[in-house]
Amino acid sequence: MTKRQFLGIVVIALLLVTGVVARLLIGRDPAVGGVHFNWPDENIFLLRFGAVRSAIVGGACLGLSGLLLQALLRNPLASPFILGLSAGAGLGAMIAAWSASVVGAGSVAWISFIAHGADGVIPGTVGSLSVLVLVYALGRRGGRLDPLTLVLAGTVVATICGALTLLVQSLMPPSSRGDSWMWFMGQVPELPSSGAMWTAIALLFCAFITSFQSGAALDVASTGDDEAESLGVSLRSLRIMLFICAGALASASVALCGPIAFVGFVAPHLCRLLIGSRHRALVPASVIAGAAILVWADAVRQSIDVGAGRLPIGVLTALIGGPVFLMVMRSRRMRAGEWSC
Amino acid sequence: MLKIDSLSFQYGRRSALKEITASCDAGKVVALVGRNGSGKSTLLRAIAGLAHPSCGSVSWRGQRLAGLAPARRALEVAYVSQRPSLSIDLTVHEMIALGRFAAKTRLDSILRIDQAIGLMGLDALKERSFHELSAGEQQRCVIARALAQHETNGLLALDEPFSNLDPGETMRVFGALQQSAKAGALVVVAMHDLSLVDRVAENVWWLEQGQMVATGAPIDVLTPTKLQEIFHCEFVRGAQGLTLSARV
Repeated sequence: MTKRQFLGIVVIALLLVTGVVARLLIGRDPAVGGVHFNWPDENIFLLRFGAVRSAIVGGACLGLSGLLLQALLRNPLASPFILGLSAGAGLGAMIAAWSASVVGAGSVAWISFIAHGADGVIPGTVGSLSVLVLVYALGRRGGRLDPLTLVLAGTVVATICGALTLLVQSLMPPSSRGDSWMWFMGQVPELPSSGAMWTAIALLFCAFITSFQSGAALDVASTGDDEAESLGVSLRSLRIMLFICAGALASASVALCGPIAFVGFVAPHLCRLLIGSRHRALVPASVIAGAAILVWADAVRQSIDVGAGRLPIGVLTALIGGPVFLMVMRSRRMRAGEWSC
Repeated sequence: MLKIDSLSFQYGRRSALKEITASCDAGKVVALVGRNGSGKSTLLRAIAGLAHPSCGSVSWRGQRLAGLAPARRALEVAYVSQRPSLSIDLTVHEMIALGRFAAKTRLDSILRIDQAIGLMGLDALKERSFHELSAGEQQRCVIARALAQHETNGLLALDEPFSNLDPGETMRVFGALQQSAKAGALVVVAMHDLSLVDRVAENVWWLEQGQMVATGAPIDVLTPTKLQEIFHCEFVRGAQGLTLSARV
């Protein structure tokens, strides 16, 4: 690891630590209104710490998923939200829940497993990977993946998945719908479901090890397909393995926090700015950066009083990530076509 | 020995290579010539094991290259594509070091990378970003990567590596390729500069419309009459070798 990479990772880790401290200290008093900074009592601490845990795990999943998608697709605009993976995961989980409510999941073990598998992570992964395959096919022009066509295809597929999710939700009995409206806008739960949390941690661990070990291969894969193969990388197996990781991570973050925009897009770019392009260093850095961004976004959200309750976290991440996305889209290298493959 | 046996390749319904048969021993420079679209790049990709033929085979030292795993094949064959690409930001040194990805022993990697940088005259540029280089410098960078990758008695397949190089750099690169051939490698290079082919290549493979129309020494294959028939311009063979006449 070079000095720049080490210092960059230290800076990102410090960002995460300060974010955690800020989130634990910032509180709101519904009776009085306004924001205050204090060390909470035990009950409040458990709630704030629950939110910190959700943000760290959800953000880390998004950061790594975004990095893998950008590397494998050779597209700086890629992220689980923009390519529709998050929407696909939401649709997969919703269809599974609807099927269970219609058939009666409690009576049939295998339906129960598919519907509720790890609190929606399993059907979500199927949904996100199906969307990835579809967007990948739609994003090709003349046999080549065009970065902007890919993003356009992702946006359209995400919109369709969002509409289908609403349709499926409206078909469900009211008692099964729960508080899914809040989930749709993205949230950092203070009392995360333990099934989703532990599944996300397990997936994050496996995906991290796999991605870290593939770091050098990802560097080689950033050359053309023929060049990467001739240098010794089996692109087919690398893509299958890491696309599954990216889809599962997107699904885990959606099961935990709902679809949150742009964290998976901004985290890898922030890391490249600080530590360069080598994937061995980018993998841990993106995990920490994704966590830091979501923890800070949640802390900032706590401190903004919008009058009618808290600002939805998806609004904040979109307001920050949107302009960064436009900057990357209009960057010199995008215009020069250096990112197309 | 490189052996190409009844090799055919199709892009959809279009036949790109038809029943190609050729062979060459290691230690030589083979120039692959022909008009644009004659199948040179496809043949080079097939030689490098990157294009899977519809029938026939390519074998190097008795092994079918297309059947080998990429990591194993990379130890035998180094390939330079016509249009080098890189989607992340790497320095010249980092880009050339990618050539050692498949190497089993890393002990000699630093030496091999430094040698390749020296051979391509990239010492002054090695800390520069690959994306900041000119097209010719990028070309030299990917050739250096192939030189760092290939084993002494391996196979080097290069697709128009001189297209962006000035005459001085062309001679430098060709010198390095000849040096590799003398050390035991087989160099197969697709190129359009027939005067250069005539002067430096030991063997010529001439492709037309996906078929091998002639093989042999440049003096036998590149005759002015045949060249005029194919390219519709006049070539003259004199004391300086083969040259393109001013008359078209």
